[in-house]
Amino acid sequence: MTEIAAGLVAWVGASLVVLSDGRRGLALGMAMATAGLAAIVWADVGPVPAVLVAIGGAAAAGRRLTSGPAGWNVMPGGSTPRFILCVAAGLLAAWVAFGVTGGHGPGLRFAAISVVGLSVARVLFTTAPETVLSGVSVLALAVATISEFEQGGAEPWPFLAAALIAAGASWIPIRAADAA
Amino acid sequence: MPPESILLSAFAALTLAFALVFAPRAVSRRSLAVRGGVGLGAIIAIAVVPNLDLALLVLLAIGVVDAASAGARGFGARLRAPVLAVGLLTLAGLLARAEGPDVLARFAAVGLGAGLAAAVGVMPYLHPVEPDRSQPWSSTAWLAFIGPVLAVVLVARGENLLGPDAGGVFGAILIGIGLLNVAWGGVAAWLTDDVDAAWRYSFIADWGLVLCGLGLTIVDGRRAALLLLFTIVVGRLPLYVASRLAGREKTVTERPINLVVAASLAGAAPFAGFAARILLLRSATQLAWPLALVLALGMLLWLPGSYRLGQSLGLPRGRTAAGILIVLALNIVVGLYPLPILGVARL
Repeated sequence: MTEIAAGLVAWVGASLVVLSDGRRGLALGMAMATAGLAAIVWADVGPVPAVLVAIGGAAAAGRRLTSGPAGWNVMPGGSTPRFILCVAAGLLAAWVAFGVTGGHGPGLRFAAISVVGLSVARVLFTTAPETVLSGVSVLALAVATISEFEQGGAEPWPFLAAALIAAGASWIPIRAADAA
Repeated sequence: MPPESILLSAFAALTLAFALVFAPRAVSRRSLAVRGGVGLGAIIAIAVVPNLDLALLVLLAIGVVDAASAGARGFGARLRAPVLAVGLLTLAGLLARAEGPDVLARFAAVGLGAGLAAAVGVMPYLHPVEPDRSQPWSSTAWLAFIGPVLAVVLVARGENLLGPDAGGVFGAILIGIGLLNVAWGGVAAWLTDDVDAAWRYSFIADWGLVLCGLGLTIVDGRRAALLLLFTIVVGRLPLYVASRLAGREKTVTERPINLVVAASLAGAAPFAGFAARILLLRSATQLAWPLALVLALGMLLWLPGSYRLGQSLGLPRGRTAAGILIVLALNIVVGLYPLPILGVARL
């Protein structure tokens, strides 16, 4: 039950990343997605990978809080399609995770499918570098979580790599718009 | 670690060294070394990491670095393809490992095929053709530098994840995407107005044959795919760079060197592309002869496009001419005697 609740938190966080254009909204979404994924990883894999996910996500969210368009700007005008996307992605992920697939970790499957889908959609449909990088950070953490399904169990390396990418992507310098 | 990936990493290093040695003096060696070195590091990392998830994270990281180097203007556009690839491959990996009905593995095969196409750069409208003339190789970095190792690793890891039934579906999807790219790339390389775009489409057409070879799942198909990847990394890529550098003068010539380059690009004997095409047709005949017929017809599309691309090199001089001669010689040697390369790849 805890795992399913954490999956819902991750989905709400990824939805906030999709629905927000301001840095506070993006940072909150990243923090919620990180918290949900870290809680699932703690329950299913162990504390070390969970701490790695939490550190990577927290660093990314902290950086986002200090850079990017100011304010919350959650669900600005014209964001109805994005809202529908979030709801549809959640329903589809829930159907696949709880109805179609079986075995252990339904919450993890729900979180991974919804977060991956929503973060990829965010990157595909925006051009603002800060927003794109927010999606990339969340995506990296979600990719690491599915390594739990690897034969022989999860190792800490994917979580370490994902944490480095999530944190590093938020700090990577992007040159100002060039004329090319 | 797939043995082909070691070989292709070595080819990529060779091509980078070629570019550093033979590029004209005006080209910044430092920029080339830094960008190429980062790409080469990513290639090696993708080849050596022990599982698919880490390979996807490396792909995501190199995608961010590559996009950031283009500046804010192209950042989002350049990141779309690697992010879509990582998303599709992650979902495919999840479905392949989850318990459930057999159809899940088939969906995983579809995701792997689509993710592979997005990762190497053959998905339509996703990879921007670079307008930046100061970085002539950047638009083909995914197609010709990172893509070959990435494709080999993804196919090997994907086949490990999928069972025999879904593995067959994966092969069929690769052949389908491959045939589409053969037709699309071949016709576009022939008919498009822009020579730079024609080069890019020619890479896509070559990738069509590679995907067919990878999808055939018999040893001759794999041999053909490896030789075709060799022709992309050690043949077409350096010739493309030479063409872009010669393009400053915008000269079009029909000297013997242009015809020889055209023959190399078209996969004529005795170049490596010819041996690859023979192997591909032989493997397709073993599987289903109509496929071999379609492939043979598709291969004819290389002729007009390659003639045009050969002309675009102009009249190479100095170190560029020396580099082109070395590339052609390497392709002839591998075309005449490909066994050492196939042996290293255990094929």
